[in-house]
Amino acid sequence: MKCLKFKYLLFVFLLALMTTARCGTAQAAQKELSVFAAASLTESMNKIAWIYKNIVPEVSIVYNFDSSGTLKTQIEQGAECDLFISAAQKQMDQIDAKADPSINTGKLDFVAEGTRFDLVANKVVLIVPKGAVNKQISGFDDIITDKVSLIALGNSDVPVGQYSQEILTKLGLWEELNKQKKISFGGSVKEVLAQVAAAAADCGLVYGTDAATSPEVVIAAEAPPGSHRAITYPAAVLRRANEPEAVKAFAEFLRGPEATAIFLENGFSIPER
Amino acid sequence: MDWFPLYNSLRVALFSTCITFFAGIFAAHYAAKLPRVAKGALDCLLTLPLVLPPTVVGFFLLKTIGPLGPVGSVALRSSGLRLTMSWYSAIFSTSVVAFPLMYRTARGAFESLDKTLLYSGRTLGLSDTYLFWRVVIPNCKQGILAGTVLAFARALGEYGATSMVAGYIPGRTAMISTTVYQLWREGNDALAYKWVAVNLIISFVVLAAVNLLESARDKPKEHLETLSGRT
Repeated sequence: MKCLKFKYLLFVFLLALMTTARCGTAQAAQKELSVFAAASLTESMNKIAWIYKNIVPEVSIVYNFDSSGTLKTQIEQGAECDLFISAAQKQMDQIDAKADPSINTGKLDFVAEGTRFDLVANKVVLIVPKGAVNKQISGFDDIITDKVSLIALGNSDVPVGQYSQEILTKLGLWEELNKQKKISFGGSVKEVLAQVAAAAADCGLVYGTDAATSPEVVIAAEAPPGSHRAITYPAAVLRRANEPEAVKAFAEFLRGPEATAIFLENGFSIPER
Repeated sequence: MDWFPLYNSLRVALFSTCITFFAGIFAAHYAAKLPRVAKGALDCLLTLPLVLPPTVVGFFLLKTIGPLGPVGSVALRSSGLRLTMSWYSAIFSTSVVAFPLMYRTARGAFESLDKTLLYSGRTLGLSDTYLFWRVVIPNCKQGILAGTVLAFARALGEYGATSMVAGYIPGRTAMISTTVYQLWREGNDALAYKWVAVNLIISFVVLAAVNLLESARDKPKEHLETLSGRT
């Protein structure tokens, strides 16, 4: 009995020793960065992470792509995030203590000082499904006619939905669309894109960069200049980042030439910083 | 307060309950007659929507009845009917998800039925159809009603598949489940709480009904309803 108990304890001790020893050497080597980025950045950021892995092998990047509104809520609820890239200033303002208090109503302070900058800029386009189901929709004015029975937009928590409402209001179409009950509200720009690609909606408003990622949609029109505020994506390191130096290095890389080339390739433009 | 989501949720749930009522009963009846291996395989297939994540069910439905899918494109071309993103699209998703509940409950009720009733009926020359509607169903009343109520509750509370197939179009396809999600996203907690209260009330009523039915079943009932189904 005593012999068995001793063997059992020895086994457990050796197991613990082995696992902690491995942990020790691993921790020194591998750093994991958690990046929350707007859904429209999916393709570009994945490419950038791949390049970054070759340059800095000990850092691995874990992404969470979703609507910026959802990401901001997750950060508020305590999610582990080192770097946040939003598709609109509003979501970043809501967690930045330095922002306008009328927007940051919760007086949240998640953004690390001096780390916020504008990463990329985008534009909003009207897309239609490609092929036989295309009903010859050529411009924004066609939306309130019978040519369109359903338009897919982001909901009011999604940046592209906020830009869409701004554009349609400026063009005088928003009230009429709501009265006609023709709007299908999606939870992220990718959902809007999927609905138009599947021809479930006759048209939709997404970013120019998203339209380029799907072969099943065609751009019918671009949002006219002056119909919306500048679409810029702010990025910031968060206060709760576990490895602030590694995150700042990655943020620096995002402003560098390789990352810029990838963003431009995907249809983004670089704003004044 | 815009009551459309309540009206829409109730009508969709009622339609799908009707569909699953008949589909579930007939599937349970005919599945019982199959040889063992076929019965097992069919049983797994028919119960699948119960264990699959609703988003998986929604994905399959979209690929089938969507405008570019095999069923959806035919419907669109022949009658101009859009099977997705309409109020009746939710009937597809809720029926599929609620079906296993009706099917399994009905099957359980049929299998626990005393078969001597049927045998006696057959010796008296009564047809199988007559026996089914006048002997089997009345004797399995409790189980079938409980299954129907469960199917209704499930159809009322369905979110994942429905939000993918019907979307959220205010005034047209909005249901209680998708409305609460939308209100949460918009930060309109006050209205979201109101809808939660509405849903809680309906759920309580439905579950109380199930409990009443189950307690009625446990009461010692008159042994053997007559062959014509009258007490």
